[in-house]
Amino acid sequence: MKADKIRRIIVWVLCILLTEGAFFAKDFVLYDFHLLVSDYTYEESSAEKPLYADTSFWFSYGEDRAVQYGFDDNISYDDIELYAKTETEVLHVSDEDEYPFSQEFIGCLIAAVPPRTQTINGEEKTVYDFARADFGPHTFELTPRAFNSADIAFELAFEKRNKIQVFYKNEALQNQELTVTGSDGSEHTYTTDLNGYIEDFPIKYIRNGFTAAYSPDDTSIYRMSYALEDYPYFTTHFYKAHLPLLVMLLITAVCIVCLCIIRNIYEKKKSPLYLSGKRSAKSASGSYNTSGSKFLLIRWLFLMFGFFWWTYAGKLLSSGQLLNTVAVPVFSCPFNLDQVLESSCYYLTHLPYLFTRNIFYVISFLVTLFLFLIFGGRILCGFMCPLGFIQDLTDKLRSVLHIKPIYVNERMNKALQPLKWVWVILFLCIFFAGVDFCDICPNKVFSSAFGGFWVNQALCGFLTIAVLVCSFFIKRFWCIICPMGYLLGFFHKFNLFKLKKDCSACTECGACYESCSMRLKNIYTERENENVQTIDCLMCGECIDKCP
Amino acid sequence: MNAMYDMNEKHKDLFVRKSSRTAASYLRRIRELSDDIKSLSPFLDVLKKVYADFEPVHNDNDILIGTLCAMIPNELIYAAGAKPVRLCSGSYTAYSIGDEAVPRDACPLTKAVMGFVETGTSPVYNNCALMAVPVTCDCKKKLAGLLSEYMPTAVLQIPSDKVSDDGLNRYLEELYRFLQELESVTGKTVTRQSLWEGINKVGRAQYEMSRFTEYRKHTPALLYGTHTMAVMNAYSYMLADEWADLMAELNTELEERKRKNIFAEKEKNPRIMVTGSPIAFPNMKIPLLIEETGGILAADETCMGERGIYDPTVITDKSFEGMMRALANRYIRPCTCPVFSDNRQRLFRIKQMIITHQIEGVIYHVLRGCLVYDYEYTIIEEELEKLDIPVIRVESDYNEEDVEQLRVRIEAFIELIKLKNLKNSKKG
Repeated sequence: MKADKIRRIIVWVLCILLTEGAFFAKDFVLYDFHLLVSDYTYEESSAEKPLYADTSFWFSYGEDRAVQYGFDDNISYDDIELYAKTETEVLHVSDEDEYPFSQEFIGCLIAAVPPRTQTINGEEKTVYDFARADFGPHTFELTPRAFNSADIAFELAFEKRNKIQVFYKNEALQNQELTVTGSDGSEHTYTTDLNGYIEDFPIKYIRNGFTAAYSPDDTSIYRMSYALEDYPYFTTHFYKAHLPLLVMLLITAVCIVCLCIIRNIYEKKKSPLYLSGKRSAKSASGSYNTSGSKFLLIRWLFLMFGFFWWTYAGKLLSSGQLLNTVAVPVFSCPFNLDQVLESSCYYLTHLPYLFTRNIFYVISFLVTLFLFLIFGGRILCGFMCPLGFIQDLTDKLRSVLHIKPIYVNERMNKALQPLKWVWVILFLCIFFAGVDFCDICPNKVFSSAFGGFWVNQALCGFLTIAVLVCSFFIKRFWCIICPMGYLLGFFHKFNLFKLKKDCSACTECGACYESCSMRLKNIYTERENENVQTIDCLMCGECIDKCP
Repeated sequence: MNAMYDMNEKHKDLFVRKSSRTAASYLRRIRELSDDIKSLSPFLDVLKKVYADFEPVHNDNDILIGTLCAMIPNELIYAAGAKPVRLCSGSYTAYSIGDEAVPRDACPLTKAVMGFVETGTSPVYNNCALMAVPVTCDCKKKLAGLLSEYMPTAVLQIPSDKVSDDGLNRYLEELYRFLQELESVTGKTVTRQSLWEGINKVGRAQYEMSRFTEYRKHTPALLYGTHTMAVMNAYSYMLADEWADLMAELNTELEERKRKNIFAEKEKNPRIMVTGSPIAFPNMKIPLLIEETGGILAADETCMGERGIYDPTVITDKSFEGMMRALANRYIRPCTCPVFSDNRQRLFRIKQMIITHQIEGVIYHVLRGCLVYDYEYTIIEEELEKLDIPVIRVESDYNEEDVEQLRVRIEAFIELIKLKNLKNSKKG
């Protein structure tokens, strides 16, 4: 009972630390990408321009370079005015101080060409051409970065994942039509809303570059080509994105080794009974076939697919999201902007943002969310969740290394409950306290790293390490306290998939209880009721596999 | 064996002759029941060797570990390089000797064990390097103390609560302690590899057992329950892999008989289940009486029978600790021994077996002095009454005196079931 008390106290202390820490999440920096605008070089190129560049020139970014391309014969380099934004003002970049870029620049450049007269569709028009590019460390941050400068008559600003704000003559452009040409040559017409926003702008346009054209009257046309620094796969940039993950894995490994050593010393002191160190030194090569079940194989395939789906698939299969209105509730990070489907955790943790979106989006979000909640339930945890996959991997690794696990018993499980509640509260409410849940989210590093995005890791990095270490010793540790999973399990009574037990064949051998990742006892003790699914059941099928 | 029971050679001789006579007569009765199934005789031969011929069944250089009850993990003993023998005995002659060392009301099984140990006549007992006694019931608790005067004894505490995690953890600790004692006896270290092999060895026996159980469920019966009990008793004195080999043969023969529709009974006899105190060889009177009076022993829920070997060890984690845990789990959780305070599981098991084995009547066997089983009789009687399954409680001792009385009761019970079936078929 004493151990129980200690356990409870530890959990409560952890809860308090977590909530306290969450408020200062940003201050616990684990890994910061020291990406400076001044590291970028600026080039001018006369290579052929891509399709979307209706304007006479544009920028492209990548590999720490900003390249300005494609002047037609009418314009010379000298005609171009280059503007750069700093935190506070807009600077006109003149030839003397432009290279290298000043440290103050936040990575937004706009180039303007003096108005020219061109013949478009047989009509003479005055053309105002601009090119804008966002690059560098702050590319995907959510702050608006409009220039709002008198020198730039027409401006597009990327904001909040898939919004574009349009300014005309320094004012938000209201209820006007814009023609957008994508990189593939397709043309679409978008209408801005009262605040000058175009909502649900396809992220693939943003990543691959596009041009928006606006004609206020018959005689003039304003065009801006927009390019966001892309992080293509298999470039140094992509590999560098894995750095925080590597650092975390290293720290995790060190922690695990330390814990193993400490445990060995402790156990030797406590009693000579546990001599696992001595015994496990020898390798076993037997082939006792325990996991040959088809069901488990299918689950692993699903998990792998799910992991691929939330990390690499977006970039490899299509450039960007396919359906950004379908939100699947799994613990997958929207910091990877290239998920094929959206993960709903972002809007669940940032509820107010959800309602700034248009009504169509809100409805489709809620409908898909509830469909998944009601019909899928926690089967998503067992079959789809990328974090679940990573935890299963760590557990497999442990069992390959034959390191003994920590057995969570029912009482410990109960003791961990407050921690889960704290997570649920943080998950749903922390935004209202002015903290971004993403800063304490233990999954942030995975999908952003594999997606090739440079995301700084604050407190969440430490939590990731903690979760990795714990799930190394305790199978599916995070799932025990996962707030998303808890919400998912809420409707377990209505789920399409159910876990049923054949009570007439049970000998209560306890194998199911021993194998259960969530340490649910009812599967072992239940003798009368067929349905053994509970709010915590992951539907991972381990119990079915292990049942003799 | 320093404090040997004071007994001269003549007495010893008498003892051996007397007990081998009883054993031989039971073996004869078992064979007389039916001698159709060829692959049964190796099992009977083993019993003959132990109880009638008083010969050792293992090689001389084997290290034997004597065990009692169904809660000592044989896997661990194999892993330590030793060989387990289960010494739960039903010898009437040894019982009468042991009667003097053990109080009158103690259970006959402990008396029989003490009898063999005191006389030192049985090589199987004499060759044991270590006795592993789990503290299940009170009799075993005291037996552990008595045995330690004759031979090195390892005592394993069995938690009285198996559902809670604490109970399991406590037994796990006991297993670790037992492991050390084993290692000091054999001089070998149990490694993950050897534990793995041990588990696989016993696992094969468990697999064959589960196949065999399927054949037992067949109606009409493919073989006599008495034979099953003999086979189970033979497991006590055999190595798991040898037993599994013979069992595989038996299973193939049964499969063949099933295909050819050769059954042990000519017409369908009342299917009886025996539950309660262990039926250890040569105390086979209850199964024999059932089947000699026209019943068929279709299932047993006793620790000498199915319970001991049926459940496999399920390894959920392949580390050393994980395997030890799996063992602790396997020997505590599915065990329906009444020494656990909360044992409703046994009721479920019995009900379940009534359905799967198509049982028509239950004989609740209580050895004299076996209190724990007697405690559970009332609740089981009540529950089975609801299912309309007749139950009788028979109390017996390790002697021939109560045979006639038992015969009358069992015969009447079987007639009752037949009558009931007749009524039902008329109604239907």
